[in-house]
Amino acid sequence: MDLFFNLAINGLATGMLIFLLASGLTLIFGLMDVLNFAHGGLFAWGAFSGVWVYDLTGSFTIGVLGAIVTGLLLGVLTEWLIIKPVYGNHVQQILITLGFMLVLSEMLKVVFGPNPIAAEPPAGLEGSFQLGDVILIKYRLFIILIGALVYAITFFILKKTRVGLIVRAGVMDKEMVQSLGINIRFVFMLVFMAGSALAALGGILLAPYSGVIYAEMGMEFAILAFIVVVIGGMGSFTGSLFAAILVGLAQAFMAYYVPSLSLAVNMLLMAAVLIFRPQGLFSLKGGA
Amino acid sequence: MTNLQMNKSTMAYTLCAIALLALPFGYDNRTILFLITQVFIFGIFAMSYDLLLGFTGIVSFGHAMFFGIGAYSVSIILDRNEPTMFYLVIGAIVAMAIAGLVSFIAGILTLRLKSHFYAMLTLALAGLFLVAAEKWRSLTKGNDGFVLQIPELFRDRTNLYLTCLISLIVLFFLVRRFTQSPLGRILMAIRENEQRVESIGFDIMHYKVIASVVSGVVASFAGVLYILSLRFVDTSVFATEVTLDALLMTIIGGVGTLIGPIIGAGIIEFAHHWLSELSDVHWIFERWIILFGIIYILAVIFFPRGIVGSLMHMWGKKRYKKHNQTKNEQKKVAS
Amino acid sequence: MMTTLLKLEGIETYIDQFHILHDVGFEVPKGEVTVLLGRNGAGKTTTLRTIMGLNPATQGSVTFNGKDITKLPPYKVAKEGIGYVPEDQGIFGDLTVGENMRVAMQKEDDSTHERMEWVLNLFPDLKTFWNKPGGQLSGGQKQMLAIARAYMNESELLLIDEPSKGLAPIVVEKVMESIQEMKEKTTIVLVEQNFLMASRIGDRFYILDDGQTVHQGQMNELEKDESLKKKYLGIA
Ligand SMILES: Nc1ncnc2c1ncn2[C@@H]1O[C@H](COP(=O)(O)OP(=O)(O)OP(=O)(O)O)[C@@H](O)[C@H]1O
Ligand SMILES: [Mg+2]
Repeated sequence: MDLFFNLAINGLATGMLIFLLASGLTLIFGLMDVLNFAHGGLFAWGAFSGVWVYDLTGSFTIGVLGAIVTGLLLGVLTEWLIIKPVYGNHVQQILITLGFMLVLSEMLKVVFGPNPIAAEPPAGLEGSFQLGDVILIKYRLFIILIGALVYAITFFILKKTRVGLIVRAGVMDKEMVQSLGINIRFVFMLVFMAGSALAALGGILLAPYSGVIYAEMGMEFAILAFIVVVIGGMGSFTGSLFAAILVGLAQAFMAYYVPSLSLAVNMLLMAAVLIFRPQGLFSLKGGA
Repeated sequence: MTNLQMNKSTMAYTLCAIALLALPFGYDNRTILFLITQVFIFGIFAMSYDLLLGFTGIVSFGHAMFFGIGAYSVSIILDRNEPTMFYLVIGAIVAMAIAGLVSFIAGILTLRLKSHFYAMLTLALAGLFLVAAEKWRSLTKGNDGFVLQIPELFRDRTNLYLTCLISLIVLFFLVRRFTQSPLGRILMAIRENEQRVESIGFDIMHYKVIASVVSGVVASFAGVLYILSLRFVDTSVFATEVTLDALLMTIIGGVGTLIGPIIGAGIIEFAHHWLSELSDVHWIFERWIILFGIIYILAVIFFPRGIVGSLMHMWGKKRYKKHNQTKNEQKKVAS
Repeated sequence: MMTTLLKLEGIETYIDQFHILHDVGFEVPKGEVTVLLGRNGAGKTTTLRTIMGLNPATQGSVTFNGKDITKLPPYKVAKEGIGYVPEDQGIFGDLTVGENMRVAMQKEDDSTHERMEWVLNLFPDLKTFWNKPGGQLSGGQKQMLAIARAYMNESELLLIDEPSKGLAPIVVEKVMESIQEMKEKTTIVLVEQNFLMASRIGDRFYILDDGQTVHQGQMNELEKDESLKKKYLGIA
């Protein structure tokens, strides 16, 4: 029972981190048909810059804020320098964002050095609770809480605010939104910034969880996020939450029971979705 | 292309080939000959990429996977058996069979969907192979990799040089034949306008999968040659950087030109070489990927035709003034 | 003295490499209903999309309220005061009727609320189904929502593309009555295949054929001109 709980909480925490990465990816894709292969780079930058600020100030909260600011800034920069020039050309978009991903990863090594950097949870989140015979690690619960909070807030924004309605309408019919007097490019930039900030938040939250951060983590998590986006349905926000949790849990349980298959199981999940339901489990629109 | 031009270009290629064949007999700088061998190998690899991107418009982000499959299949088989020609051939066949199978599966899963899906799936699959190579230590010896023995014949550097060159030449003409065949023309038509080809009644999926399989098989063969030249294998053959190399060579050289990626391979390989020498001067040169990445990004935005494509485009324009009638074919090649 | 609200001159439009509009020109007087007629594929929808900037013209000019809007992006065209009801109505299926309306509301000031009230009185159905997802409305209700929505943004001009398409005759009747009432508030460009309806609410007509404006006149003249109707509209 103890083991089961621990694995489940592990899986949920990993799932939430992937969700932070995947939610931005999926909204950006749904809204503008742009698949940003550099998204994982923003995740890694969030981790490194956040840990740097965290080490400098000694405050985890300020570290998290630092990561978010980095995400917002890099988001604007990416949208402006990388996405805009090749807007509307799929092949060029795909090619260029992957190139940018590698530049981002290498730049990390230049700025923060080539070696992995260690990170620890802040004082208040160290250690664990004892609940009966189950041990709950505080930091993992914290991640789950933050993930749930981000979901709830974003969900509220999408459901209840006009900007949210515009984003959802844009996912359904971009032309019509423009015909109603809305500058969809501007809305897209906002979503892009928000998505980048969420990715960066995921990065800094991962740091104390895994204990160490390294430049390649961006690509590793980006691959998981892509799998999640396919499983959840490209463009579906809630879909990405469920798919992320699914992938996180599969990852955690497989890593324990059949470690060599932990990435393979996610690939198989994705392959199954591609075969039987290519529009994704949650998508309402045709995904092809 | 008119027959006359075709003969001209074939003649130019033949002259180059003869010069390169003669080179090791008159020039014996081992480092440079080794480097040129690498150019041949990556030329094959980049050409296989061009077949996909340039002739079909499919973006693969997992091309390193086929390269790695070639490298590991042949390494493991040679390592576990006698390093003879027989096992080398077996290894190459196994490599190409696995690569063909994997690209077939990736193709039928995603090629009927938007281009993002193939890029994503191949990226994820390549990641899976990389992790497998790291974790399946009993087979791959993990991150450390291993040194292996190769057949006597290829221990001689000149023989290896010639083998790689001849492979490149043969594959180049085969692939060129393939792209000029009716099948190749359909592929190019698909790149230009998918719906139109579909509406004429072709099964697009079918052709795309064929392109994907041919490309994967050729790429794995490059991986086989790569191992013969290094006599050592580790997980870096599966790295995303390998895919980026192929992309860079193809884009810089000229997408959809076949010869362009080979020239691109020459440029990138020599640039690698010089930049790593420069890393003694300053550590920043160790991070050459940044430089390449930036060049690559700029090339995608501002120089999408690449070197050969741009030359052909310019040439096409000049000819346009002289002979109006040949212009259309020229433009097709250049774009 | 009639003022011209919208004017198209020598419009040529390409979609990809296809030359769709060759020479379209017409004038829309303020306060009237101008009807665009023409057989299937004549270029009526493309003309409206060109005005909106969705398929921008490569040649010619679109002038609205004296301002050249030819090259403006769609959202700016809309902000100039043009509302668009596309052929497929463009309802956001997952959004409720209320939310569909809200997306269209640039401002939440008094005049917007006045408009809202007026248009909801015109289409009481929308009030009834306020919280129903747009995707679950009937064809007629969707059409009403699309028209109401297009009207929200201080629109001085509504472009309405075949509102009768696929609707039962009785529903068509209702939609047409509403459009007739909208006339007192805005100017309308109406694409309509249903000649009977068009002739009832139209003031003036233009006929498009193969991407060109080939004929124009007052609606009541066209009713009598059998040869013209036969030639371009296929009505015996
Ligand atoms: N996306 C497109 N690509 C190519 N051709 C198009 C496209 N959209 C429209 N066309 C062509 O442009 C011409 C005009 O189309 P348009 O939709 O404007 O006609 P229409 O008058 O609205 O017809 P209908 O009465 O059937 O709605 C048609 O011949 C059509 O085939
Ligand atoms: Mg139409």
